[in-house]
Amino acid sequence: MARRRSPARLVIALSVAAALAIFLVYTALAGGTPSLRPSQVAGHDGRVSVAGRVVGQPSGTARGPEGLRFTIKDVQGTATLPVVYRGSVPDLFKTGRDVSVEGSLQNGVFVADKLVTKCPSKYTNKQS
Amino acid sequence: MPGLGSAALVVAFGLVAYAAVAGGYAAYRGRRRLLESATNALFASFASVLLAALVLLAALARHDFSFSYVASHTSRELPLGYTLASFWSGQEGSLLLWLLVLTGIGSAAVALNRRLIRTVIPWTVPILGAIASFFALLLVFVASPFATQVAPADGAGMNPSLQNPYMLAHPPLLYLGYVGLTIPFAFAMGALASGRADERWIIATRRWTLASWTFLGFAILLGAKWAYEEVGWGGWYAWDPVENAALMPWLVATAYLHSVMVQEKKNMLRVWNAVLVAGAFCLSLFGTFLTRSGVISSIHSFTQSSIGAWFLGFIAVVAAASTALIIYRLPLLRSRTRLESLVSREAAFLYNNLFLVAFALTVLWGVIYPLVSEAVRGVAVTVGAPYYDFFAVAFGLPLVLLMGIGPLVAWRRASLRAVGRSLLWPAGAALAVGILLLLAGARSSPAGLVGYTFAAFVLAAIALEFVRGTRARHALGGGSWPAAFTSLVGRNRRRYGGYVVHAAIVLLLVGAVGIGGFGTTQEGKLTQGQSVQVGDYTLTYLGSEQRRAANSQELRARLAVSRGGEDLGTVLAGKNRYFAEQQTSSEVAIRSDWLRAEDLFVIADQFNPDGSVFVKVIVNPLVNLIWLAGLLFVAGALITLWPDAREQRRLARRFAEEGALARA
Amino acid sequence: MDVLAVALGALLAVAAVAFVARPFLAEPDAEDDRLAGRTPAEQERLELLERRDRALGALKELEFDHRTGKIADADYEASVGPLRREAAEAMRALEPLAPPAPAPVEKVDARA
Repeated sequence: MARRRSPARLVIALSVAAALAIFLVYTALAGGTPSLRPSQVAGHDGRVSVAGRVVGQPSGTARGPEGLRFTIKDVQGTATLPVVYRGSVPDLFKTGRDVSVEGSLQNGVFVADKLVTKCPSKYTNKQS
Repeated sequence: MPGLGSAALVVAFGLVAYAAVAGGYAAYRGRRRLLESATNALFASFASVLLAALVLLAALARHDFSFSYVASHTSRELPLGYTLASFWSGQEGSLLLWLLVLTGIGSAAVALNRRLIRTVIPWTVPILGAIASFFALLLVFVASPFATQVAPADGAGMNPSLQNPYMLAHPPLLYLGYVGLTIPFAFAMGALASGRADERWIIATRRWTLASWTFLGFAILLGAKWAYEEVGWGGWYAWDPVENAALMPWLVATAYLHSVMVQEKKNMLRVWNAVLVAGAFCLSLFGTFLTRSGVISSIHSFTQSSIGAWFLGFIAVVAAASTALIIYRLPLLRSRTRLESLVSREAAFLYNNLFLVAFALTVLWGVIYPLVSEAVRGVAVTVGAPYYDFFAVAFGLPLVLLMGIGPLVAWRRASLRAVGRSLLWPAGAALAVGILLLLAGARSSPAGLVGYTFAAFVLAAIALEFVRGTRARHALGGGSWPAAFTSLVGRNRRRYGGYVVHAAIVLLLVGAVGIGGFGTTQEGKLTQGQSVQVGDYTLTYLGSEQRRAANSQELRARLAVSRGGEDLGTVLAGKNRYFAEQQTSSEVAIRSDWLRAEDLFVIADQFNPDGSVFVKVIVNPLVNLIWLAGLLFVAGALITLWPDAREQRRLARRFAEEGALARA
Repeated sequence: MDVLAVALGALLAVAAVAFVARPFLAEPDAEDDRLAGRTPAEQERLELLERRDRALGALKELEFDHRTGKIADADYEASVGPLRREAAEAMRALEPLAPPAPAPVEKVDARA
């Protein structure tokens, strides 16, 4: 006698629901880091990542005592943000490149420990 | 002659559009000559696209900078290999490569299976034509590789970070994988559309699916090796959206490969398979969309390239059409066979599928989360490695376990007692390994420890399979043990090739856990003569050296390496400065110890004016197992792909039986 | 250069059209332009063929699993009977549909 309802369907449905629930909850609680533009950073304390374009001339060295200092500007806008970065500098880092820095805002300066440069062509990001 | 290239693309567009429309009508109305005409159009489109590709290649080879594409991606001093490889380094060229591969393997798949699958082919041709039409449309109207300009004296050149052998191999292999997934999709949808298909199309397209899946998997690992050596942060996989773009379709394709076996043998899971194959194809389109549009990144904006909108639209159309077709054919797809027991090989395949798809969905969710959270909360939130690592472990561990249990469970209904008995030896081996590792101090990563225990379990189970199989073969046929072994594998290529692939995945896991869970890092400033201790290694900074190469200035730090008092030579790590491009690239030093399968990874971050250097040294245990796993993976896939004379004869016989009726 | 490109392009277009029109040019008025489809009888026969092959395949796998020691004797005895019956049933169902003269196998070119 064939079964009316195959357990397969039930198993699939429950598993999908469970998986969905797990990662919705995870991302809601553990969360990730907010990705902001320089214009949005002001209100946020805590760890965030900011994306913008490097303007002006960077100064200092990332491994030196004062860190690498540069300014990033909103990709579509005028807001700027001074950044101090300590760590490995990715190859593509240069004035005019789009970057993403991760860290927190301290006394008006963004102190970052992660720097990612977006490749000017369509190819992969460079990590540090 | 850019004009010829453009003309060839226009002709190709016309041809595939005709193949789509005329082919669709011919299939719907059952018109033989019209269908043949549409099929010819598909074949001809390949010739036309090939011509366009050759025009671009010729332009690249002779540095014809009147082609905008050539001018923006190459320069006179670029070595020939990279000049030709820039065919696929830019948007337009890579689209052309996609169309070339699509029309090429599409034509081949149709040509080879024409007589074998008479009811499915009439629909497969228009579907392939429609998909090709999209890419041809882009190439003709949106992103033409044949745009011209006033020829500058020299081109813009290729980004130095792309000038390595990986650039020559990775994109074509990746595309063979991505585009290859179109074949099972087109045939599956064709089977649905025809409404009266048998399962032969699965058998006929099995090798295409397997080959694409292999190319995709290998390309992912090749990409990881590229990132490991060239981007050089010490890791091998960063869960970057671009990496995930290729991983997602691969995971779903893996699920499909497994469940299609159940469909072949038990005529079950047909709706599920249709959904899977459509999902894999849509994800491969989504993958290429991610890498082109720049929409998912910390700099999220559609203005990066308008091509993103086109792709998104196309994916929506494909998803909608596939869903509609599946729903329309739901009565046909509903299988009469039911899952009899939750402890059976069918069920094991189902669980395998669930975990794979769940993991793929997790990755997808992580990739689109920034967009979703921005839409919902106004702030884009990116998930990091901890999210992906958590689920990789949560779903990966059960998957590994299933790799070991699955083959030992019988079809239909397995008694737990029988399963328990088969598992005894592998479980014992796993326990022993677990205890040994615990004593050796692997407690630092509990997930890693569990992973290794499971890995030992699976490897032992696989070894047991080979042993028992060879023994049985030997008992049957006599002869020598090696002969029995080769005969066993030769007669059961799918099964034992599959086991080799499983072993490769387990090896990959062992390597990934090694580098992820048991590595050591040390960083700091070193003056000349100063040493640093990392793990078992001691590195001493000897001094810096400079060298001038053809197009760059090379600056290196030389460090002496020793371990336990034994001198292991020196390594050079540093930076290259490229004149023309005004670019620096970091050149890491990787010292591979093959006996221990570990890498000593040295990054020279900063050369200070006072002669000191800032270095970051990482010890990556077992990382080389990952690359070895890649090779084993391909070997296993080859075993499974190898043409099987007996299977051909069986198929031929079945075809004859069916054909006989038609002729009667 | 431009004229050459145009000429070659035109040539390409003409060749494409010719190739596409070939089926119609080769058979200007074909009496049978119907696409070989499948009658319900053929479809039924095909499904029975598949059912038979599936049953035979399952039997082979059962034998293999038994020989390599994965399935105990008791389980084997329990499963082999029903499977054999299934295969026999499928083969019996095919009998009435069997054509009088089967086509020779050599003509077939079945490549996967």
